[in-house]
Amino acid sequence: MTAALEAINLSVERSKQTVLKDVTFGVAPGEVYALLGGNGAGKSTALLTFLGLLTPKSGTIRVQGRSVSDDLTAARRVTAYLPEAATLYEHLSAHENLAYFLSLAKAATDRAALDRALDRVALQPEARDKRLGSYSKGMRQKVAIALALLRDTPILLLDEPTSGLDPIAIDEFNTLVRSLADDDRAILMVTHDVYGACQVADRIGLLRKGELVGGFDRPAEGRIDTEAVHAAFAGRAVA
Amino acid sequence: MSTIFTIAAAEWRLWMRSRSALAALLAVVLIIAATSVLTAVRFTEEREERTHQQEVAEETFLSQPARHPHRMVHYGHYVFRTPPPLAIIDPGVDTVTGQSIFLEGHRQNTAMFADTRASANVGGFQSLSPAAVYQILIPLLLIALGHGVFVREREARTLAPLLAQGVSGVTLYVGKALALAGLSAALLTPLLIMSLIGVTSGEAIGVSLAVVVAYGAFMLVWSALIVLVSAVVGTRGVVLGTLVFIWLAWSLVTPRLAVASASAAAPSPGKLETDYQLLADLRELGDGHNAGDPAFDALRANLLAEYDVDSVEELPINFRGAVAQASEADLTKVMNEYAERRMALEVRQSRHVNGFGWLSPVLAVSAASRHLAGVDLETHHRFLREAEAVRFDFIEGLNKSHTQELSYTDDINRNQSPEASRRARISPENWTVLDAFRFQPATSNQRFGAAAAPISMLAVWLTSLVVAGVFATGRLKP
Repeated sequence: MTAALEAINLSVERSKQTVLKDVTFGVAPGEVYALLGGNGAGKSTALLTFLGLLTPKSGTIRVQGRSVSDDLTAARRVTAYLPEAATLYEHLSAHENLAYFLSLAKAATDRAALDRALDRVALQPEARDKRLGSYSKGMRQKVAIALALLRDTPILLLDEPTSGLDPIAIDEFNTLVRSLADDDRAILMVTHDVYGACQVADRIGLLRKGELVGGFDRPAEGRIDTEAVHAAFAGRAVA
Repeated sequence: MSTIFTIAAAEWRLWMRSRSALAALLAVVLIIAATSVLTAVRFTEEREERTHQQEVAEETFLSQPARHPHRMVHYGHYVFRTPPPLAIIDPGVDTVTGQSIFLEGHRQNTAMFADTRASANVGGFQSLSPAAVYQILIPLLLIALGHGVFVREREARTLAPLLAQGVSGVTLYVGKALALAGLSAALLTPLLIMSLIGVTSGEAIGVSLAVVVAYGAFMLVWSALIVLVSAVVGTRGVVLGTLVFIWLAWSLVTPRLAVASASAAAPSPGKLETDYQLLADLRELGDGHNAGDPAFDALRANLLAEYDVDSVEELPINFRGAVAQASEADLTKVMNEYAERRMALEVRQSRHVNGFGWLSPVLAVSAASRHLAGVDLETHHRFLREAEAVRFDFIEGLNKSHTQELSYTDDINRNQSPEASRRARISPENWTVLDAFRFQPATSNQRFGAAAAPISMLAVWLTSLVVAGVFATGRLKP
């Protein structure tokens, strides 16, 4: 099966610093791949490169088998992106934010569909027509997640998606991500939340200083071993 | 295309929800309204007043009783330059050149101000025309509202999600430029109303709309620049600083530089120096009031030979009138040479200043505005030439009456004999030598021709900035 997302020997520089070094991985449809790493490991850089917002120094980056540099617009059309800090417009309401971004993506913007997505992320109905300036961080994150859902694309790029969510919302979100993958979507998620990654991911890639230093696959039954990942993340052996 | 409109509409929605943006917009709209109303009222009144004064001046001249014709030469006459209808938008040189001239024999008087209000420096809104508002203040509003169109997205980190929706940087650029262009179009509404008022006052509709189009192009230049700077410069403070710097350079520094450069490139000798030189040259032509002046010996000899007589008393014409006629023609020739030299110098200086439109679109639009409104230097020069033609015609008409209708004997004895004095007067029917004067604006074609160069400059500015904007945003990064 063709991987929905592929990075082959990818190296990326930002401000003349090498942020990603010779990284290779792929994400198949129906798969959740979590890139796990600390601050500055290059996780977000990987997502931005898939979106064509950063240009690789070397290597290849493909979306649905086609080089991103060859057809940037096509790559973005099939990709929904959830940015790290729920970057939406504070002067717009949840409905208005969703309608605006979706209209740019040429996606449907009928209010019923918007409400269904907001229901899925459990955003209170009474808040939906208020401007985001009055929202908590978690509420904004829910709107951003709803936007990613509404794009209804075969590929999702999630940058620290549970940042700002309360524990219950995190659990609900992880369930949602699994259900999206079960719908044959390819999901690339970057996070430093070891527990969340193990809960939801089929595979985990461990990034350290721009290099992919380890990987974990979900066993046939159960989840990826949190303790083993945590130990690798912290740079120590598992007891 | 719908994406572009969606982006533009989003900018509009932001401005409509921003109190500071609305306050700035309201302030500028009030200034436009105030200056438009004040300038429209002022120039409509002045137009009527100068037209009325012109009629009064002609009636007064024509209603003079029987007089000696040379008294009428010095009684003189006034001509007024009525402002064209579009002076309600751009008074142009009207406030600095004077708009009325006293016409009399042997002199070319300089233009005076027809009315106290017609001069500059009366203060307040009086000197702030709609043209000045559109040239100087509107760009500041565009900067205030538009400087953040890209940099705001970058600072709020919304640029990446925007691009991630499949929107290209160029589409964002065009959409945001369209938002500013839409704002510009809305701000042009008062100008459009003023131009239509001009049409109702007799202005050609083509040239009236061309003024609006010229200012529209100028505002598009600013819109394209603002979006470009906002897209390529990293932080809001630097964007604002850069745009204010450009505004200062274009609006205040370059125009002064242009004037200083024009003065250096085509230095004018100064009025006193020129006037003294002119007087010296005129003195060499003789005194037309003195028929015995040696300067007219040749004229006397020629006339005596032509009529085959031995003395001026025997001439069938009045020799004094003939001297006045010949003297006026000679004086006028010299005065016209001086005037043409001065006007040529002024035109050189004006063209030099206009050339700076390649450095500042403010100079380009101000030149286009003056040409299209019919308030440029060339129009003032045409007024001076037409006024001089009227002066020369009626003076020479009176001199001709002096020559043909008055006997030489009565003329030279009119201060000694009451009877001779009575006979040395001619009837008021002779005053009809004065032609009616109604100063007309240049034709539309003439004004379009004059405005072609500065409008081309605006087109080049706009094209260059749009190309630069498209190039810069083609590979836009968050």
